[in-house]
Amino acid sequence: MTDAALEAELMEIMRDVLDVDDLNYDENLTADDVEEWDSLSHVRLIVAVEKHFGVRFSTQEIEAMRRLGDLRRAITTKKAGAA
Amino acid sequence: MGVLSDRDVVLALTDAAPATRAVIEAVLDVWPDHARYMRRSLEARTPPQMAATETLAEAALLLTDDLPECAARYRWTCDRLREEELFFHREGRYRLSTFAEAEAEVYGDAAYMANYVDGLLLTQVLWYNHAASCDFFLRETPAMLAPDSRFLEIGPGHGLMTYMALRDFDLARAEAWDVSSVSLDRTRAALERLGGADVAYSVRDVMTLEPQGERFDFVVLSEVLEHLEDPKAAMRRIRHVVDDARGVVFVNVPINSPSPDHLHLMREPDDARALLTECGFVIEREAFFATQATPLERALRNRVSVSACMLARPRA
Repeated sequence: MTDAALEAELMEIMRDVLDVDDLNYDENLTADDVEEWDSLSHVRLIVAVEKHFGVRFSTQEIEAMRRLGDLRRAITTKKAGAA
Repeated sequence: MGVLSDRDVVLALTDAAPATRAVIEAVLDVWPDHARYMRRSLEARTPPQMAATETLAEAALLLTDDLPECAARYRWTCDRLREEELFFHREGRYRLSTFAEAEAEVYGDAAYMANYVDGLLLTQVLWYNHAASCDFFLRETPAMLAPDSRFLEIGPGHGLMTYMALRDFDLARAEAWDVSSVSLDRTRAALERLGGADVAYSVRDVMTLEPQGERFDFVVLSEVLEHLEDPKAAMRRIRHVVDDARGVVFVNVPINSPSPDHLHLMREPDDARALLTECGFVIEREAFFATQATPLERALRNRVSVSACMLARPRA
């Protein structure tokens, strides 16, 4: 999967979970930038990402994800490890 | 024009609520990143809900000797709840299902309980759904109660519902029951601090209640039934102590609300209603308050926690 394809799928999940239509991929996007991205929706976002990409994150990994780029890289790393 | 920070907004919203502000400032001191959540939680509250919030905060301050420590314990509790949220959304169920498991992991662990009990106390103030439930209780109950009601709270915890009922409702007497003597001692100590002296305490297992016992006019079960393995069996027993003619019950249960000691999962409003409608009661008033005032339909779709508040009478 290309980076662009992964980013597109990730944003599809984010828009669905957060119920926000106008959200585009930005490496530096954080929860502070998106009103609907709070501690509650973060858990749902992570689980939706896990189910979609067939990966599993540890609590430590989840807490370390501050920026959207962190989440994108974590998915890539996990998928590479699983392949 | 300067942009107000979340913390600035929170402080402005609590301008006329000094106890609430004290609690929130203590929490933000140990958890600055919680300011966004606090702002949204407060912005959603109506003036009556803010008044209920302040009542809860005043009580919480009376029950707390060390507010910074209590705030740290609130953060600790939220960390535990986030772990349960993760499990719940991954697996679609609560992690524990038996009382024995909850006893082993939570109730029997004194250090865990010390953190957890203090953390939960502050959720009453800080979480929209808890303060809104309290406001519902205070506003909707009086019109349903007969004068000189005999009051019973089962599983009273911090005693906040009993405290508010004694303060605001026309009660002849009040009793508090719990299956655990340790828990009941904690309630007694709390109510003595809050000034609710005239309460009779009794260690009781509701599963032993029989039709020929004493009767009450107002029975409260607030965030209790989700901790039981078989809440419907409990409600059928509790029906025996509710007066046939004058009786009212208030039940507050959470839907889709993973917690270290929640055993009985309710997924929909009808699951909560069934605790009453399938156990000899007719619901007369109800309201559903989702976390952070999320619209109900969206909360249910996303499995965000919702508090179900219901006032019911015995079915004729």
